[in-house]
Amino acid sequence: MKINVDEIFDVTSFRIDREPHIVLDTKVCVGCDQRGCTNSCPARCYTWSEEDQKMTFVYDGCLECGTCYVVCRQNAFTRWSYPRGGFGVSFRMT
Amino acid sequence: MKRSFDAIVIGAGPAGSSAALTLAKAGLDVALLERGSYPGEKNMFGGVLHRLTALEEHFPEFWNQAPLERHIVKKSLTFLTEESSFNVNFDTQASDRVPYNGYTVYRPRFDRWLADEAVKAGAKLYCGCTVEDLLKDGAQITGVKVMRDGGEIKAPVVIAADGVLSFAAKKAGLRRPAFDPAQMAVGVKALIDLPKEVIDDRFGLVRDQGASNELVGCTQGVRGGGFLYTNYDSLSIGLVMHLGSLSESGKTPYDLLNAFMEQPQMAKLLKGGRLLEYSAHLVPEGGYDMVPETHGPGILVAGDAAALCIVTGLNLEGINLATHSGMLAGKAAIEAHQRKDFSKQSLACYQRMLENSYVMQDLKLYRRTPHMLHNDRIYTQYPELLCGIMDEIYRIDGTPKETMTKLLMRAVKEKIGLKNMIADVYSGWRAL
Repeated sequence: MKINVDEIFDVTSFRIDREPHIVLDTKVCVGCDQRGCTNSCPARCYTWSEEDQKMTFVYDGCLECGTCYVVCRQNAFTRWSYPRGGFGVSFRMT
Repeated sequence: MKRSFDAIVIGAGPAGSSAALTLAKAGLDVALLERGSYPGEKNMFGGVLHRLTALEEHFPEFWNQAPLERHIVKKSLTFLTEESSFNVNFDTQASDRVPYNGYTVYRPRFDRWLADEAVKAGAKLYCGCTVEDLLKDGAQITGVKVMRDGGEIKAPVVIAADGVLSFAAKKAGLRRPAFDPAQMAVGVKALIDLPKEVIDDRFGLVRDQGASNELVGCTQGVRGGGFLYTNYDSLSIGLVMHLGSLSESGKTPYDLLNAFMEQPQMAKLLKGGRLLEYSAHLVPEGGYDMVPETHGPGILVAGDAAALCIVTGLNLEGINLATHSGMLAGKAAIEAHQRKDFSKQSLACYQRMLENSYVMQDLKLYRRTPHMLHNDRIYTQYPELLCGIMDEIYRIDGTPKETMTKLLMRAVKEKIGLKNMIADVYSGWRAL
């Protein structure tokens, strides 16, 4: 038994909105020397490619915890809000 | 949807529903706004609900009325290393009698129940309703703007129970615009399916008795700790880690949680289980110094939104403070209605009620604790020290034994250093 965040949809339910609730200006991340989001996000929504010098962000499996909002030291978010009503993560038991 | 109410409560979590329940019972017209499709959909916590004295006013037989999993009779603190564990266990029949001291619950069930109770009392619950902005008349908050229908809802008083990030408190200028990662922790949790009989056997429980276990030494040096709680037929296991420390460590929460679940003593308890759900949430762990302004013109802040949370390492209190503060916010709003005065000065009665209750008094009492917990030795050296000493005491390997004093002194010098130990004991003493 292991948590595999790449297959988070197998264990946690989501209703994914077409409109992202979080918008990241990835240009800002290029100049960041910490990128705490990449390791701290519990759903691994942020991936930094050293080779391409590029940040990739996906919001589909976002658990709406706010970790990225707190650890980002660059104000790299164009928008950080919760999803519209009825969308996003849906905890059933937890 | 109606556009005008006596009060608006943002968030149908424990704080918000307690506030709405209080207001509705007093005959006020209250809108309870929830961004989830149902109350509790977005909420998670470790799993242990302490006794909610505030709610006993409305639910005299809470344990028969609320949807609970097990009541906690067994509490333990464990110091963990890669291959050992040192356990301090407290098991008492006193916790097996009503009123119980604490319970395990599932938030989607519990939060929905509490919100439904507010609805039964007359509150109007609107789900799928994310608040986007506050309406203002000058500095006075006069309502909220919601994402649904792009609508505006008006009320002379708004109770912000919108959770740990509280954008409402931010927009009202009551909290600082940016959070300090050192004052925030992230909790990650795995819910593990196991038959009731297996849980009863492994944890030594009968009927609906439950166990709660807090652990240190399971975070590979990241400041934080672990928990393991028994639900009726599942286990909640997880880690809570300071964001500043986690971010700097380069480690990921899920790798740490996987390693924690694979630690030999933990793995035995989880054996045969199936992963049901994975979840995460932030915890405001800064204590008293993190609490924002709790009131402003036309607005009150309750629960996690007001950072009302106490972390001592032994207890983690949040929902009890949330329900209590929510209820007081409701009472303060009722008083403001009687005075027909919703100014900041009028709503300051809420701050006084908080100060007169255990909520602020306990937060003040434990004011130094968050600082004490910013000590890296707690998370690796001390668990290793304790397990190392126990190992030497019990090990029979043909070498002559030392006196206990000698053994202790040598272990402390090796692992911690005498000066550090004295400083830590002093700081722990002051903080707790």
